[in-house]
Amino acid sequence: MNATPSQPAPALPLAAPRRATMEPPWVRRLLIGLTVVFLGLFLILPLLSVFIQALGKGLGYYFSAVTDPMALSAIKLTLITTAFAVPLNCVFGVAAAWSIAKFNFPGKTLLITLIDLPFSISPVVSGLIYVLVFGAQGWLGQYENAEHPWFPGFQSWLNDHDIKIIYATPGIVLATIFVTFPFIARELIPLMQAQGRTEEEAARVLGASGWQTFWQVTIPNIKWGLLYGIILCNARAMGEFGAVSVVSGHIQGQTNTVPLHIEALYDEYNFTAAFAVASLLALLALVTLVLKTWAEHKKNAALQAAAE
Amino acid sequence: MNSMLFSRQRTVLPGFKLTLGFTIFYLCLIVLIPLSAIFTKTSTLTWAQFHEVATSPVAMASYRLTFGASFGAALVNAVFGLIVAWVLVRYNFFGKRLLDALVDLPFALPTAVAGITLARLYAENGWIGHLLSRAGIKVANTQMGIFVALTFIGLPFIVRTIQPVLEDLDAEVEEAAASLGANRWQIFWRVIFPMLTPALLTGIAMAFARALGEYGSVIFIAGNIPLKTVITPVLIMGELDMFSYAKATALAVVLLVISFVLLLVINLLQWWSSRHHEHL
Amino acid sequence: MSVEVKNVTKKFSHFTALDNVSLKVESGELVALLGPSGSGKTTLLRIIAGLEFPDPGAQILYYGEDVTMIPASQRKAGFAFQHYALFRHMSVFENIAFGLRVRPRATRPPEAEIRARVDKLLKLIQLEPMAGRFPSQLSGGQRQRVALARALAVEPKVLLLDEPFGALDAKVRKELRRWLRQLHDEIHITTLFVTHDQEEALEVSDRVAILRAGRVEQIGTPEEIYDHPASPFVYDFLGNVNLFHGRALEGSVAIGATEFVVRNQKEATAPAVAFVRPHDIRVMRQANGSASLPAKVVRSNAAGPVANLDLVRQDSGEAFTVQLSKEEFQQLQPKPGEEVFVQLRNVRVFSDDYSI
Repeated sequence: MNATPSQPAPALPLAAPRRATMEPPWVRRLLIGLTVVFLGLFLILPLLSVFIQALGKGLGYYFSAVTDPMALSAIKLTLITTAFAVPLNCVFGVAAAWSIAKFNFPGKTLLITLIDLPFSISPVVSGLIYVLVFGAQGWLGQYENAEHPWFPGFQSWLNDHDIKIIYATPGIVLATIFVTFPFIARELIPLMQAQGRTEEEAARVLGASGWQTFWQVTIPNIKWGLLYGIILCNARAMGEFGAVSVVSGHIQGQTNTVPLHIEALYDEYNFTAAFAVASLLALLALVTLVLKTWAEHKKNAALQAAAE
Repeated sequence: MNSMLFSRQRTVLPGFKLTLGFTIFYLCLIVLIPLSAIFTKTSTLTWAQFHEVATSPVAMASYRLTFGASFGAALVNAVFGLIVAWVLVRYNFFGKRLLDALVDLPFALPTAVAGITLARLYAENGWIGHLLSRAGIKVANTQMGIFVALTFIGLPFIVRTIQPVLEDLDAEVEEAAASLGANRWQIFWRVIFPMLTPALLTGIAMAFARALGEYGSVIFIAGNIPLKTVITPVLIMGELDMFSYAKATALAVVLLVISFVLLLVINLLQWWSSRHHEHL
Repeated sequence: MSVEVKNVTKKFSHFTALDNVSLKVESGELVALLGPSGSGKTTLLRIIAGLEFPDPGAQILYYGEDVTMIPASQRKAGFAFQHYALFRHMSVFENIAFGLRVRPRATRPPEAEIRARVDKLLKLIQLEPMAGRFPSQLSGGQRQRVALARALAVEPKVLLLDEPFGALDAKVRKELRRWLRQLHDEIHITTLFVTHDQEEALEVSDRVAILRAGRVEQIGTPEEIYDHPASPFVYDFLGNVNLFHGRALEGSVAIGATEFVVRNQKEATAPAVAFVRPHDIRVMRQANGSASLPAKVVRSNAAGPVANLDLVRQDSGEAFTVQLSKEEFQQLQPKPGEEVFVQLRNVRVFSDDYSI
């Protein structure tokens, strides 16, 4: 708390001299106070209110809301979606970072910008593009009572197997992959660029095969960055609302993910149940923050080691 | 290695073609091809039709609201984000590490959860809402509510872009200024603040860009009253609910083009900021 | 039998790193590749290791076997990187064992043998107590020794070292290069190392190859290249040198009004530059007939094992430096501003188009 040099000088009535690069105590206290009030009002209070409102009608009600068949079905759909989105984006992230960080080729900067693109697109627009591609009259859409002008084979295959993309699970998975697309790649690219390629070269000269080099040298070096990216990707995949809302169709028990289920409960003025389910996602957010802080620490240590 | 793509390929590390090929394939499949659908869909509209949809009174009202609230929120965050970053980097106090970790809450908390929470807090019978309503201030179902929600989601952008720059600032620069006779306030305004400016502007642009497209945290608190509290993403959603894809797409194009321009601005700011950093 | 490179050319998009280089290293030899930065020495080393690939037409032979098309992982070259490239997540022991552990099952030694071999190498590099440490816990010199042991563990046919002492401070550098020489005398492995430090190259190696702008300028034993530099570049690169502008005569050079005998022949009466090392100049109080040159003392400095004298020629004003032993300096006691006479030995003459 006290960064001013506090010499044990009881004889002096005045405080020790203040360092030139330190503000007067009243300014410090004011700024700390402002920070605590602002963050308390905007972060801590909302977080607490989620749990308090969730338990507003007692534990029994809380558990019945969370274990309601509709809630369970939403949880299941969210887990399925995440189980597709995170591993796929993980493979993509590692592949993209490998090619970008370990090799030189023209157009690299453009590629990095394109990878980041989904972050700057509104979630609603992210959902919309999949509706345009797969929805009625889309490029790969299902035409009702009509033949598709370009890909009739694909349409009849989907119809024969009774597969729906939009307003069904595949659409939700695709939209989720889109919004979580850059998370892992953008963590790994700078880390692997900083680490360079000499350790891999050393492994190759020592006789290691490409796979051995990748698994025994590259992966151990990037594991914290990878974990960090996976944590962020997972949080967003489980919590995505806007994009999924566009492609879902909102069929309770079928195409509602957890966030969509919360919306449905809220719209029915069933606030306590809505907050009960929301508290699950709030817990997820807290776990994410803890894991993220820990992985970030490890990742920064790896980056620092690379800079040595 | 520069001519690697075009000449005979021999490298020590394997997998270049495989990984780059997969990267480009996946990028096209998930991002670029679906995204291009939006422009081909728009091209089915004539210019007059596009113009009519994109500049209709509801659309114009939604742009004004979205821009205004996003910009206001970004500015408020600029002030408070700067204070928060400063306090977290410079001072030690009880609970600092906890607060530091919590700054990322708006990133980690799903927007729907943030949305219903803020809506309940600021409702007229909510914890904060009933206090404010005594003072005659209404937040829920007003433009004020949208502003509150956008402030919430924008906060980490500013703090997290300023923090590292503040941590890297050389104490000697401040000491030099002090030895030349500057007081603390002068040191801040004339020495520290100019060095933070690129990062601050980048943070503002990022928070602004995020706020423009925000949906989940806004819809619950906004009330979505036509011409008053309908932001552009909600307007697009409404068109989609009525299956008017062309109209929805036209509005989406407007939003998308603005996002791309902002992306360009952010990249330029970051480029400027890294150059700024090198010159030190 | 040897390691040999033939006609190696390597062009990057903007410049030529290596321009038709051929080089032969005899079995068991320790050869230094010496040159300034950008001379192509590291590129050549990486090409020999298989980390970089030469333009078509080149040939790389290990003991007569053409390895040009063989990937780095199968060449059995030991390579020590400039910044060591130790695997940071592995202990010293595991770093050294890596090359043995990644072998296919059929040729991988049993665990006990791996341990025995690593222990032997740890002993060789005198780091037995550090086996369990991680690279981040070692000093620079220790890291370099681990990197060497790791390269040696796979029993390479050739050992390639890229600026092995480049990142170390002066004292550790000297220790380590003596150690490397001893190590080489013990295990006699064909070794090439890259350096930009002439003192290092001359002290450690059996032969030195001097590279300049992608070409081999001269190759020979340290004595040969020091005493018989083939070009002004080599002369200059191998140590301090003074330049005297004059005219070449038959077997001698005229500097001002004085003639000196030269060690290399040049055609007569051409404008020329005479190269003389600072310790090959004798300073006298009295003129010694026509064979001495008048000069003025500018500054003297006797700190250290030898004394240095800055002089200027009385006739042309050209500045030069002289190295004297402590005894000579005591006898002479030169003061700034005094006039002295100098005599030049071991003079070499090159034509006038060279400037340092």
